[in-house]
Formats: sequence, structure tokens, C-alpha cells
Amino acid sequence: MKELIKKLTEVNSPSGRESNIREVILDELKNSIDGYEVDKLGNLIVWKNGRSDKKVLLDAHMDEIGVVSSFIDEKGFIRIESIGGISAYNLIGSRIIFPDSGVEGVVGIEGETTQDLQKNLKELNFDKIFVDIGARNREEAEKLVPIGTFGVYSAGFIDLGKRVVSKAMDDRIGCAVLIETIKRSKPYCKLYGAFSVQEEMGLVGASVVAFNIKPDFAIALDVTAWSDTPKGYKRMSIELGKGPAIKIKDNASISDRDIVEKLRTIAEKNGIPYQIEILIFGGTDAAAIQRTSSGIPSGTLSIPCRYVHSPHEMIDLEDAENAVKLLKALVEEEK
Amino acid sequence: MYLKELTELFGVAGYEKRVRDFIREKIKDKVEIIEEDPIGNLIAMKKGRVNKKLLLCAHMDEVGFMVSNIEEDGKLNIIPLGGIDTRSIIGKKVVVGEKEIPGVIGFKAIHLQKNEVYEPPQIENIKVDIGVTKKSEAESKVRIGDFVAFSVESMNHGSWFSGKALDDRGGCSILMDIIYSDIDLYYDTYFVFSVQEELGLRGAGVSAEKVNPDLAIVIETTTSGDNPEFPPDRRSTELGKGPAITFAHSGYVVDERLFKWIIDTARENSIPYQIKRRTAGGTDARRIATTLAGIPSAVISIPARYIHSPMSIINLSDYDNTLKLVSILLTKEAKL
Repeated sequence: MKELIKKLTEVNSPSGRESNIREVILDELKNSIDGYEVDKLGNLIVWKNGRSDKKVLLDAHMDEIGVVSSFIDEKGFIRIESIGGISAYNLIGSRIIFPDSGVEGVVGIEGETTQDLQKNLKELNFDKIFVDIGARNREEAEKLVPIGTFGVYSAGFIDLGKRVVSKAMDDRIGCAVLIETIKRSKPYCKLYGAFSVQEEMGLVGASVVAFNIKPDFAIALDVTAWSDTPKGYKRMSIELGKGPAIKIKDNASISDRDIVEKLRTIAEKNGIPYQIEILIFGGTDAAAIQRTSSGIPSGTLSIPCRYVHSPHEMIDLEDAENAVKLLKALVEEEK
Repeated sequence: MYLKELTELFGVAGYEKRVRDFIREKIKDKVEIIEEDPIGNLIAMKKGRVNKKLLLCAHMDEVGFMVSNIEEDGKLNIIPLGGIDTRSIIGKKVVVGEKEIPGVIGFKAIHLQKNEVYEPPQIENIKVDIGVTKKSEAESKVRIGDFVAFSVESMNHGSWFSGKALDDRGGCSILMDIIYSDIDLYYDTYFVFSVQEELGLRGAGVSAEKVNPDLAIVIETTTSGDNPEFPPDRRSTELGKGPAITFAHSGYVVDERLFKWIIDTARENSIPYQIKRRTAGGTDARRIATTLAGIPSAVISIPARYIHSPMSIINLSDYDNTLKLVSILLTKEAKL
């Protein structure tokens, strides 16, 4: 699964610009599915037939956070706006790639005096930073990165053995788990896999998918925050390597209790390690899915991930493997 | 162009009746279908050349207030309907409720302030004064729940037009102009004049669900930012540089194919345009896009200074170019 994770995270596809990642995922899955559809908003929906008419939807969003160019000055410096929850602090010292042209740049910060620089660092926001692509003037920059060009972190995949690090682990790890689940399982139900768009903009794609399919129940696969680093979130209990996390609640939804119990029971029956997650902020596609149409029971299975929304998001491969095992058992269950 | 009439109508979010009635009266003989939905959106339809649907949306509501309580001395407490900077409203003329009782938004004079003058006034301390001295007297004129709308006359000076509520009566006027023009529509075009956009995009989704269009274009009046004190690199749009085309805003990245189609069309027809540079704030496009099985949506806006205040300004050349661009788009098939 490591190779797949590497492949998926290395694709540059921010919210609203998902065609690159959609192609890679479809290519990965085309021999393992019974059909697929790209819907009007660009969501990729694949399916695998089972023996029952029951429809189960597993969702992972394929977009990643990013930036978009909004202004170019006469010297060729580019101002940016955020696409999704990307922090100016994470951008300082980072590299940005604009996939349309493949151009890379570095992020700099304003400061006319050392005091000014200190102040800007303390109260950092997008007004204080810029991207430098090495252009010598506006014309050069405009040719490569016209206003409205989308960019993402340029940060390579790091193989640390049992743990791996990359940008866009949120939520390409969910995509990887979903791809593996589809490939490895012989579902009893009719299994739908949705690789949805624009989650980072506010759960745009998933509700549309759910409306289209109207599944009997749905599970979003996403990353969750962590608490196992020095002075990490003390009100949470998520640790890397302790298994996928069955979400009880986050800031956008409460998981359907039957789904929580079902996942817990299957994990225990099959000896699959799991954690229980209560996230004190954030939300997943489950929030959008559950209130679609006349209501769809929904939950979230999370992969614990450190440094979420930074250029270097870390996960434990065993958590991903165990998530696949759990989901495989779920969709193969004869009920 | 109905900018003068439209901007002088009172149509605070949730109280759009006057605007709706005006538009309906003006367009009813020019369209094939006209109806009001249960939440108050006005939907009109003109047939196109193909059996596919395009939804064109502008919101009728404007920011304003609602009377939330009446004090013993007859002054009115208000709550905002939509995002309003309290610094822009002090001393302004308003009307209250169906009877359009005139009033003034009051705040203590600068002589009675110390350091508060440096802080934006809190809405709790702002009262509407309708020239009465007793609660009972006020109650004979207004009621709790009445709307409070800015009351200003529009001004037209050369290419500049100013008035209240240009956000989004500018868009409404564009839609009406298109209905009046005899352009050869490609799609069956549904003109939606939506309600309660300023309260969180509440109206448009309902219309989109009813119409279920193949695509949607939202016509807005959007913030400019070309005030002299604002550096050019942080401006959102600028007056006189043409319609603003949105790549992304709060909660939605505009459909890439539509974004490019609009830009290409502007270029091919030598219509000046600008790309909107800030992403703060949202439009009905977010709600429409996520309706039903998904509706690709785009946003085109007239740039305006000082929106959400009692007086905003647009450049009529931007209005004309927005109308021109949208009119051309509507005669063609979108690249989807």
C-alpha cells in the first residue's frame, strides 16, 4: 500500500482542480470495478456489485488544500489566497507548485524593519506573504502563473519505514484505503466508492454524491487529528499505530450509533485494533451526507494523522492496513 | 435598466415583497412562465433553442435591520439582517415597517464620547429614533418584527451610479434587461430572483431544486476595494475594469469549465473583464452547486464600492459590460 500512497500523494490536485487525481484513481481501479461515473461536479463514483440490493457508500475526498494566485506586482511577486484551511504559518518557508505550468516557487514574508518582521510573524496572515517564482517582472510571472492559477504544497513523500509523511495525506490516505478496500473485497452489498471533490471548501462534493446514490448507509474515510506528540491535544486520545479511529463526534456531525456499533463489533470479532475518536473541531463528508435527501445514516472511519494541513502529514501504515481490513469485513458481511 | 427604481425599493432580507412585486409587474408579459415559490423567490422562464435548462440568479434582498424591541422612551432596538458595519450607519435615514415610518439611526454625539469614538459602536447601543417619546406612541406606528431599511435616493452622475442595495439589485436589473432584450437564448432560461441571500444563501437552493437546471450563473454586485488607501495588491476588484469573474469564493470553487468559458467569451468579444482577486464572502452559487445531484455554477459580478452600507457606487460601464457578456453567454452552449 506504501507505493499507492506515494503515488496518490504526489499528484497535485487542490479543491476545484481534481482532474489530475481523478485520472490516477480511475486508472488504478479500472480493472477492479463493475462501473463508474463522473458526476456533474466532478466526483468520481465507482461501484462493485454484490449479492444484495443494499447500497453502501464509502467516501474519501480526493482534493487537497491549496492556494490560488490573486495578484502579481510589477516585479513578478505573486499574492495568494487560500483554498481550504491552509495556514499562512505553514506556508512560510514552504515551496508551492502550480500544477498547470509545473512552476514552483517559495513563500516569503513582508517586513520593512526587524520589528515589522517580528510583528508580521506574530500576526501572520495572507496579506503579509507572497510567492516568489524567480520571475524578473510581471510579464514573466503572468505567463506562468496568471491570476486564478491554483497551487499546492510542493513537499515530497518521506518513507520512514512503518510511517510515511507527505503533503495531501488528507485525504489521499482515505483514497488509498478506499481503493484497497474495493480491490480486495468481494462485497455482499452493492459497494459504491466515491472520490469526492471540494471537501476542503466545505463538503461540496459529497452531498451531491449521496443524493445521486441514496445509499442505505455511508462511511466517510478521512484523517483525524492526533494527541501523541509533546504537549499534543490533551482533550483527545488519538495515537498513531493504535488502529483506525471510529468517530463518535466532531464539530460537524455525530456518527450514527448503529454504524459506530457495527464497526466496533466487526473490529472486535476480527481482532482488528481500533480507537474511538471524539474530535473537538473539524468535520468530514459524513456531515454533508447524513442530511442529504431524506437522511442517510452516516459515520466516519478516520486514519490518525499528525500535522494535518501542514506540508508534512504523517500516518502509520498499520492504521491504514487495519482500516482496509475493517472495511473489507464490513462490506462482505452477509446482512 | 431599472437601477434607480430597484435600488429605491425597500427589500431587506426576509421582506422582499416590494421588490418582487415590482419585478413581476415589469416582466410578466415578457416571459413564458412566472411564479413565486413558497419561500418567496420569483422564477420566470423564457424558452431557448434546446431542451436544456440554465438558471440565472440574482438576489432581491438587501442588508438592513429588524425591530427587536421597543424601549420605554419609544426608541427602537434593532438587530442586523446581513453583514453590516455599524460605523457606516450612524445618523442615517431609515424607514420602518409596512407603513414606511421614517426614522434616524441614532448614537450618542461625539461630544458625549471619550475613547469610544475609536471603537465601532455596538449594535446594542444603537437605536432607531422615530420621533416619539413614549413606548405607546411608538407602538401605534411600528411593531416588533418590522423591517428597518436604509432610505436614500439614488444618484446618477455621468458614468457613476450610486444608491443603496446595489448588492444585488444590480444583478436584478441585469436579469430584467436580458428579459426585455430579444436575444436568441440557447437554453430554456430560468430567471431566479432569490430571497434571503444575505442571511446565508437561504432562497436560491429552493429554486434550484425546483428547476433542476443543467447549469447556473449567479449575477452579483461585489465588493471592489479600490479605495485610495487600499494597496492595489489587496483589492478585490476595481471600478471601470469590467465584470468581475470569480474563480473561487467562500465554500465553493467555481466550475473550472464555466470559469474558462466565461473568460474565453469575454476575450473573443473584446469585452473588458477582471478576475475577482479575493475569495472572502460567498454567493448563491455555493447553494445552487450543491443542490440535488450537483449543478455546475459560476459567478459574474458588477464591482461596487462601499457595499452593505447605506450608499454604494458602481461604474455604469461595468454594468453595460456585464450585461453584454452575460447576453452573449446566454446565446451559446456552455462548454461542460
